[in-house]
Amino acid sequence: MTAMPTGTPAERKALAKGLLKLNENMLTLAELSELAIRKAAEALARLDTAIADEVFTIDQEIYALQLEIEKTCGDLIALHAPVASDLRTITTSLKMTTDLDRIGRYAKDIAEITRQFPPEAANWFGRLPGLPKMVDRTIEMVDVVTEAFVRRSADSVRDMAGVDDAVDTLFEETLAAVTGFMAEGSLSADLGVRYILVARYLERIADHAVNIGERVVYMVTGERLPRVRAAERSEQGPSG
Amino acid sequence: MALEVRTLSGGETEEGSEAPTIQGTVPPKLETQELSAWFGAKRALDSVSLQIPPNAVTAIIGPSGCGKSTYLRCLNRMHELVDGARMEGHVLLDGQGVYQEDPMRVRRRIGMVFQRANPFPTMTIHANVAAGLRFAGIRNPDAIDKAVVRSLKRAALWDEVKEDVWRPGTSLSGGQQQRLCIARALAVDPEVLLMDEPASALDPIATGKIEDLIFELKKEMTIVIVTHNMQQAARVADFTAFLYLGKLIEFDRTRDLFERPKETLTENYITGRFG
Repeated sequence: MTAMPTGTPAERKALAKGLLKLNENMLTLAELSELAIRKAAEALARLDTAIADEVFTIDQEIYALQLEIEKTCGDLIALHAPVASDLRTITTSLKMTTDLDRIGRYAKDIAEITRQFPPEAANWFGRLPGLPKMVDRTIEMVDVVTEAFVRRSADSVRDMAGVDDAVDTLFEETLAAVTGFMAEGSLSADLGVRYILVARYLERIADHAVNIGERVVYMVTGERLPRVRAAERSEQGPSG
Repeated sequence: MALEVRTLSGGETEEGSEAPTIQGTVPPKLETQELSAWFGAKRALDSVSLQIPPNAVTAIIGPSGCGKSTYLRCLNRMHELVDGARMEGHVLLDGQGVYQEDPMRVRRRIGMVFQRANPFPTMTIHANVAAGLRFAGIRNPDAIDKAVVRSLKRAALWDEVKEDVWRPGTSLSGGQQQRLCIARALAVDPEVLLMDEPASALDPIATGKIEDLIFELKKEMTIVIVTHNMQQAARVADFTAFLYLGKLIEFDRTRDLFERPKETLTENYITGRFG
């Protein structure tokens, strides 16, 4: 009997061990990214710069973990020449780290905006109902795609683009509300623009969650989901 | 390449016993239809139906004893040379049954290279390459010389041996000997080259030369390679067939088979989860 195709059973064990470590680190990275959004939103809701500072620390941890994951993936590819689902897991993880890192960066940007609020600035977070809803929706989306990655479940993330449409709608509502308040003069342009940026960052976070969902589907099934424009999705109705 | 292939499960297509096919206008170079083979009472191949595309490399992979070497040897009628061996089914070359042809003619059209380089030990490099031509009845020294040089060049060996063609073939390194055997197979201008683990006994540099050679040769002929080395199959083959316990489990473009195999058995084998 000759050696196993990807090496000896011991080598397969080493690959399996590496994949387990990768999975654990990916889960931690996703949790950190989600925590960064929560902290950034909390800091904004309370205009609390101390909480905003925590987001910066989390972002640094995200970056360090991203580098470690990249190294793990590089080692697994170089040492084990993985194929099939092993390969898809590694390439998906590499792509996901970019999305999760970007999510962390947007959370950091929101924290940065919070820190730049003038001390006497009024807190409009509660008066812009779309904004807290966007926070909840984006956190939920990151949660769903993380769960799907961990459970290797494609079905729960096939329609992330549809979920994202709801976030886009909330973004439009928030934009309309902020510009409305700015037009009537109750909200200064300086603050208004900051809230619009926050909404924009949340909307982008949701886009990255959609990316992750697409990558999880590929990882689990090998299938590449087609990109469908929002207008076409609404014409097709809810997807299954 | 406008080729499309279908995969099959457990040696059978969705529609029955049809071979996994190349859909489009390109007919297969080789085809097996429900090919079964035995050594005595032991069945080595079980109704393997497969279409092998022309001017491409098709890798046959699978664990030891899965029948991949037997499959290769059925293609050019080598299997029948073994005592107690028999086969059923059809092997078609350009649509014509090879078992209805003269076996020597078949083996000239379908050449073979083995795992261990096997140059004739008493012959020079020149004589080794010329051997096939002489067996084919060619006696003209000029024609033989020209064919020897051309074959050594095609086998990417000429530059290394052009001053030494009268030395024994066995004086070459292992990798050179294997290329000498490829030159010998090429001398009779085969249309198909079967390679049974041609690089398994070679170091990475010699292996690289064989793989470069395969890449060049496929431009002018059809290659079927048996390999245990998954990475080698992924590197050199356009199409890959996975055999298990004598059955064809999956046949697909190599990149698809290694990235997203459709069959769990294939996935388990190529990721080393077997056993």
